[in-house]
Amino acid sequence: MTGADLALAAGFIRRSQNPDGGWGYQPGRQSLVEPSALCALALHAGDAPEAARRGLAFLESCQKPSGAVGVGPADTVGGWMAYAALLAFHALGAADRERRLRAWILAWEDASRRFSKTDIAEIAARFRYDASIQGWGWTPRTTAWIEPTALFILALRRTGTAATEPRIKSGLALISDRRVPSGGWNFGNPYSRSFELEATALSTALALAALGAAGVREEDAAAAAGLGYLAACLAGEVSTAALAWSVLALKSFPGRAALARDAAARLARLQAPDGGFRGNLFETALAGLVLSGLPILLPAAEGAR
Amino acid sequence: MSRRSLSRREFGRLVGASALAAWPAASFAAGGAGQAVRPAGGALLQVALVTCPDYAPETLAAAVRQGWRSSRPPDVRGKRVVLKPNMVDVSAERPIHTDPRLIEALVLHLGDLGAREIVLAEGTSHNRDSEDLFRRAGYEAIARRRGVRLVDLNYDDLVPVRSVNPRATLLREMVLPRTIREAEVLISLPKMKTHKLAGITLAMKNMFGALPGMVYGWPKNTLHWNGIPLSICEINGTIKTHYAIVDGVIGMEGHGPVMGRAKKAGVLVMGDNALAVDATAARIMGVDPERVEYLALAHRIKLGSLRPEDIAVSGGRPDRVRTDFALDPEFASLRAPRG
Repeated sequence: MTGADLALAAGFIRRSQNPDGGWGYQPGRQSLVEPSALCALALHAGDAPEAARRGLAFLESCQKPSGAVGVGPADTVGGWMAYAALLAFHALGAADRERRLRAWILAWEDASRRFSKTDIAEIAARFRYDASIQGWGWTPRTTAWIEPTALFILALRRTGTAATEPRIKSGLALISDRRVPSGGWNFGNPYSRSFELEATALSTALALAALGAAGVREEDAAAAAGLGYLAACLAGEVSTAALAWSVLALKSFPGRAALARDAAARLARLQAPDGGFRGNLFETALAGLVLSGLPILLPAAEGAR
Repeated sequence: MSRRSLSRREFGRLVGASALAAWPAASFAAGGAGQAVRPAGGALLQVALVTCPDYAPETLAAAVRQGWRSSRPPDVRGKRVVLKPNMVDVSAERPIHTDPRLIEALVLHLGDLGAREIVLAEGTSHNRDSEDLFRRAGYEAIARRRGVRLVDLNYDDLVPVRSVNPRATLLREMVLPRTIREAEVLISLPKMKTHKLAGITLAMKNMFGALPGMVYGWPKNTLHWNGIPLSICEINGTIKTHYAIVDGVIGMEGHGPVMGRAKKAGVLVMGDNALAVDATAARIMGVDPERVEYLALAHRIKLGSLRPEDIAVSGGRPDRVRTDFALDPEFASLRAPRG
C-alpha cells in the first residue's frame, strides 16, 4: 500500500470517529475497544495525531484499576480485546497504562488450572488436546482457544515481551498442540471424538502470525502444515479479515514472501473509493496497518523484514 | 464416564446441577420475557406440522403459507422482523446451517404480509469469520437479492439486560445485541439436528447464537461454563422469541451439530411457543422431550409446555412422520419408545 492509500484509509477512519473518541465496527456504532485501538493505531501511523490521541483517551476510559481492559467502558471484568489496547497504549506512549495492562494480561487465569487430572484425561481422550496447557480465553477463567492466545502473543511480542516469557512459551505450546492434523487451525478443537474438525483461514492466519512473531521458523512442522493450508485457502475466496491477517502472518516467514506480496496486492484491491474496507472500521484499520508495511503489528526487529 | 457427565463437569462446574435445582419456578410464572406460556383453563399451544419433501421454491412457499395459517403466527404488518437462523458453521458436505431457500421463502411470505423491514441476523458460534460464512451459506446472496439487512450479532451494539432468573450467576446481567433487543418480531429458524453436548438442538438452543461472541466468546464458551441447560433456559426466558420454524426438510443425525450425517425428515415444524415446537420436533426425531434436560427444565420453569396434552398439532400426530434420528451413543437414553 502506498502512503496515499493509508491516508485514504485514515480519512475514512477519521470521518467515522465517535464523539467519545472511539470507534465501533461500523460508522455510527457503539465505541468498542478492538476497533478503537486499531483505528487509533492507523491514525497514529497515518499522521493524524490529534484524532489518535482522542482515540487513546477513549481506550484509557476503558481501563480498570486492576489494569484490565474489556470490550468497552462498562466492562469491569476485562477480556480478549485487551490485546488491541496493549498495542495502542504502547504505540501512543501511554507507558504506565501499558505496564499495568501487560501485568494483567500475563496474570490472566484461563481454565487450565481449574481442570482436575481426570478432566484433563477425558478431554485428551475425547477432543485430543492437552487442557493443562495455559493460554488465553475470550474471557478470564474460561477455556483457552487459538485466536485469543494468538492475539495476546502478537501484542505481547510487539510491545517488547521476550519470546522466552513463560506465558508466551505456554501459548505457543497450546497453538502447536491444538493444530488440526491435516494442517492449519480452527477455533481450538482439532477433533470431536473420532472426527477431525476442519481448519479455517482466519484461525490459521492468526496462529501463524503468532508463531512468526515468536520466532518460530517455517520448517517447524506445525508452521509448515499451517502455511500449506493457508496457501490453499488463498487460492480461493477468503474474507477481508482473514486476508489481512494472512498478509501479516506470511510476512513473518521469508520463504513465503511471494505469497505475501500477492495477498497484499489482493487486499489492496478491496479498498473502496471512500478508503474503507467493507465499510468496517476494524478491517479498514487492520488492512491499512498491514499494507503500510510499518512495524505496528509485528515485533520491531521483524517488522521491516 | 459419559459425555453428558463430562459436559456438566467441564462446562458447568461453576453452577451445575445445584443451580438447576435452585431455580425458582415462580420466577417464570408470567412466562419470563413474555413467551407464550403454559396454557391455562384448557387452552392449547398451537404447533403446525407441515410436510415439505424438498427445498423447491414452490414447495417451500406452500409449506410456509400452510404452517403460518394453521398456527398462531405473530402480526408482522408494519414491523421490523428479525430472522435468527442456525449457522454454527457451513460445510458443502453436511447440512449444518438453516437452508437459505427456506429463509428466502419466509422472507417473501413476510413481505407479502406487509413486514416493514426484514433482518437476517446470526452470531456464529465456532468460526467467527462471518463474512466468509454468510457468503458460503448463501445468506449474503439472499440479503442482496431480497433487500434484507444482514447483521453479525457477534459485533452488534450491546444492550445490557437483567436475567429473569433471580439466582442467575454468570448471566445475571445478560448482554444482548441491539438487533435482538429491539426486534419487534423475532423468529427462530433452527435446523433439526442432534447435538453432541445437548442431545438435540432446535429453536431454543438456537438462541445461543443470539448472544454476542465478543462478550461470550467462540464457541460461546461462557455459556458452556454456565451450564448448557441453564444457559438455554436463561436466554429463552430473557429473550422473547415470537415464532419458530424448524427446518426439518433435511436435518442432521449422529455427531451433530457439525459432524453428523444428513437425515431427511421432510417437515417444517412451526409455532409461537419455542418449547412446544421443540417438543414436537423432538418427537418427530424419535426423541422423548421429557428426557432432554433443557426441555424438561424449560417446562418446569413454565416457558411453555412439552406435554402432548397441552399442544394441539395441526397436520397430524408427530408419530405419523416420526423419523428416528441416530443419536450420539451417550444420548441413547433420549430415545422415545415406539407405540
